[in-house]
Amino acid sequence: MSFLPCLWAFCACVPFGAVMNLHGKTLIFASVGGGIGWVFYLLSSPVHSDIMQYFIATIAISIYAEIMARVFKMPVTGFLLVALLPMVPGGGIYYTMEYCVIGNNSMFIETGLHTLGIAGALAMGILLVSSIVRLWTMIATENKKA
Amino acid sequence: MNYDDLITLTTDVGCLLLANGAEIYRVEESMQRIFRAYGVETGEIFAIPTCINVTITTPTGKPVTLIRRIPVRGTNLDKVERGNDLCRRICHDRPDFRAVRRELAQIERRPVYGLLFQILAFAMVAFFFTLFYGGDFTDAYWAMFCGAVIKIVCHNMNRFHANSFFVNIVASFAAAALAMLAAQFNFALDTDKVIIGALMNLVPGIAITSFMRDLIAGDLMAGLIRFTESMLVATAIAIGAGIALTMTRMIWGV
Repeated sequence: MSFLPCLWAFCACVPFGAVMNLHGKTLIFASVGGGIGWVFYLLSSPVHSDIMQYFIATIAISIYAEIMARVFKMPVTGFLLVALLPMVPGGGIYYTMEYCVIGNNSMFIETGLHTLGIAGALAMGILLVSSIVRLWTMIATENKKA
Repeated sequence: MNYDDLITLTTDVGCLLLANGAEIYRVEESMQRIFRAYGVETGEIFAIPTCINVTITTPTGKPVTLIRRIPVRGTNLDKVERGNDLCRRICHDRPDFRAVRRELAQIERRPVYGLLFQILAFAMVAFFFTLFYGGDFTDAYWAMFCGAVIKIVCHNMNRFHANSFFVNIVASFAAAALAMLAAQFNFALDTDKVIIGALMNLVPGIAITSFMRDLIAGDLMAGLIRFTESMLVATAIAIGAGIALTMTRMIWGV
């Protein structure tokens, strides 16, 4: 298993974050999140389902983003937007279109649904982590009041 | 206190956050906090990605309402960060309105990267994503040009306020067409990888990420709007690249 793609993911996130006007340390740490996500994707390959792999990687990225947002006292969105970019199924969208163009309908449906599944996995991963974090902060503030 | 000024100023802050890509709940919460800081407990705020509606009731019982449309949205996380910071300071120190206005103007004037830098950045994104998806260095080299083309097309079309669906179709068409053209001169080229790498610049990652966060926070309208947005972008990318593929296949019969 080669971990080189993790490095490429990190490198790709840096200019992408720069376009969105992230600067300095935040930019670097947000991009590291992209690399970390792919490390978790590769590490979870024993589950033999790439939708599950995407789900696990997204959870890892979301947790990382929540931690970094607290360390740097910045909105979570910035870290999340940049770090999740390598997870977005660009390849899926492309291959779906290609099967559609060459008229291979069964592959078109299959790839299309698979791509939707990946997007769903991303969404679920984000949902899970940010819901838990919200609940946790709620409980923490309640306890502080009591 | 002048409540007209208060509501205008608070909406300006909310507008700054929303137009630069903050989540809906952050916008609504920030505005609510500012109202509370100045002693208005009755701020009713409803924000969706394209519009902010806000009503406050003055202590004399008179309601004041403001509706602000947001025609142009982008993602500038630097401004979101500053806006968030400003909001925190307003709630803490309760500065007078003129000081806040000055700060707002300062944030608006913050430098953004020039066009050349952005073109370069798009090229680098395409370069590294082609490698990420398993292309070799020749592919990545060509993808750089495709990425640069995407930014140039987007920039020129946005100047004339073309709608974003159309912009995405044309940009994705241009990138894919360039990749297919390159393949005619260099037969070892893996066009799939080149096109995917370049198109990662357009892919609706931002929309997918934020629509889920909006939905969780209970902003269903905003979530649906962003969901529709991400679907439209994905469709536009597919249409553009699809046209390019079909056309080159027809011309060269590949």
